[in-house]
Amino acid sequence: MIQLRHVTLEYPGAAQAALDDINLHILKGEFVYLIGHSGAGKSSLMNLILKRETPSRGEVYLSGESLRKYRGGRVALHRRRIGMVFQDNLLLQNLSVFDNVAFALRVIGVPQREWAARVLSVLAQVGLESRQSALPRQLSLGEQQRVALARAVVSDPPLLLLDEPTGNLDPDTSGEIIRLVQSTNLRGTTVVFATHAREVVEQFRHRTLTLRRGKLVRDDPFGGYAL
Amino acid sequence: MMYQIRQMWLALRGNFTAALATLTTMTLTLALLGAVSLLTLNLERTLSGLEKEVEVSAFLLESANDATLLKTVQALPQVASARIVTKGKALEQLGQDLPGILEPGSLEENPLPDSLRLTLKNPRDVQVVAAQLKALVGVESVEYGEGYVDQALSTLESVRFLGYGLVLLLLLNSLFNILSTVRVGMFARRVEIEVMRLLGARRGFIRAPYVLEGIVLGLLSSLITAALLYPAYFALTGQLRTLLPSLPLLEDRRVVLELLVGLVGLGVLVGGLGSWFAANRYLRELE
Repeated sequence: MIQLRHVTLEYPGAAQAALDDINLHILKGEFVYLIGHSGAGKSSLMNLILKRETPSRGEVYLSGESLRKYRGGRVALHRRRIGMVFQDNLLLQNLSVFDNVAFALRVIGVPQREWAARVLSVLAQVGLESRQSALPRQLSLGEQQRVALARAVVSDPPLLLLDEPTGNLDPDTSGEIIRLVQSTNLRGTTVVFATHAREVVEQFRHRTLTLRRGKLVRDDPFGGYAL
Repeated sequence: MMYQIRQMWLALRGNFTAALATLTTMTLTLALLGAVSLLTLNLERTLSGLEKEVEVSAFLLESANDATLLKTVQALPQVASARIVTKGKALEQLGQDLPGILEPGSLEENPLPDSLRLTLKNPRDVQVVAAQLKALVGVESVEYGEGYVDQALSTLESVRFLGYGLVLLLLLNSLFNILSTVRVGMFARRVEIEVMRLLGARRGFIRAPYVLEGIVLGLLSSLITAALLYPAYFALTGQLRTLLPSLPLLEDRRVVLELLVGLVGLGVLVGGLGSWFAANRYLRELE
């Protein structure tokens, strides 16, 4: 599904590479944690997969295709294959829960007649069907993150990237989010989950990749938190 | 499309001060542009009137064969019309032009020569034709108001050139106004734009509300301009007609209306193109 071959990412003026000669292969349907301290390179790796960045050296492949030559409309099509959840959820504050989720369908041109069924179905999965008319500021942080997750999966992408999605949440709410992500993974979606929440990685074990100062220092197929 | 229109309206409302500033500046620019265009049109009329009046006179020797010379001159490609003015006719005309000074029969002998009077298809050929006339056998001298005609033509040419230069600068000014308004508007909604991009929205989808905003601003400002300029122009020409009745003013309402319709089209074009460029550039910078 995702392959990185000798990938190095250097930012102009930075003393150290954000990512240094990374080689990894994530298979279709896998659930992979990406752990490491702040600045270890987790977000840089996510950005490479999203094609927000281009590697200084090496190649990133998604489903066997190199992302290097993607431009303009091709990048947009590439991103439609990826659901994305961030720590700060990036919900649109002037839109209701329903409209925030439907927004993902609108921007990719799904006909309006299909929205209601798909949005309500995914809101039911994250337990927010009854809050569809609420505005984001009327929700708790955990609920907002569930809306962000619903928006990420409503278009049924084959790949889900999560960048510190439980960073602002208490352990119980984090557990809820992980369970939702796991159920999405069980339906066949590949998941890459960047976090430094030890309890999450320990409790819900999956393959774990450890980054340190831009280098991939550990790839543990059985999981567990060890920095 | 309804979504894009709603987003355009939200962009206008959310960025109201900048939109109002653009609307005002663009209206002023288009008003100036319209005024310069009307002035240029009036200058064109004056210029073409002056050009039509350019006449070349070739004074003939006593021995000249007038009919042959007339045929030769009429065959020149630059000549629009040619006629012979006999010495008698010229004296008669002089008497009419200087009444009280030159009375009929007051001269013992007519001192004036026969002459050829020519008008040209293009007044800028005047010097070439004059040189050709001078070379003809039987032509004593040639006059075409050299100095005066050349200077008047070149002055009016300069005025026309300056007018178009000013119009171009004003258009660029409008374009830059639109560019900055759209940029401010997009920056204010950068989070939403970033979400759209991450969700896989194409550039055209993100750009559409801003292009619509530019078109609406262009349309509004040009309509305001037309509504102000039309009555103001005819009020001014009415006053000028009373003060300077000989001035060849443009008073054809259809021509003025056509110009204002063109101005509205230009406003929409500048608004649409400016916002398209601004939105595209902003999105390219994010990539």
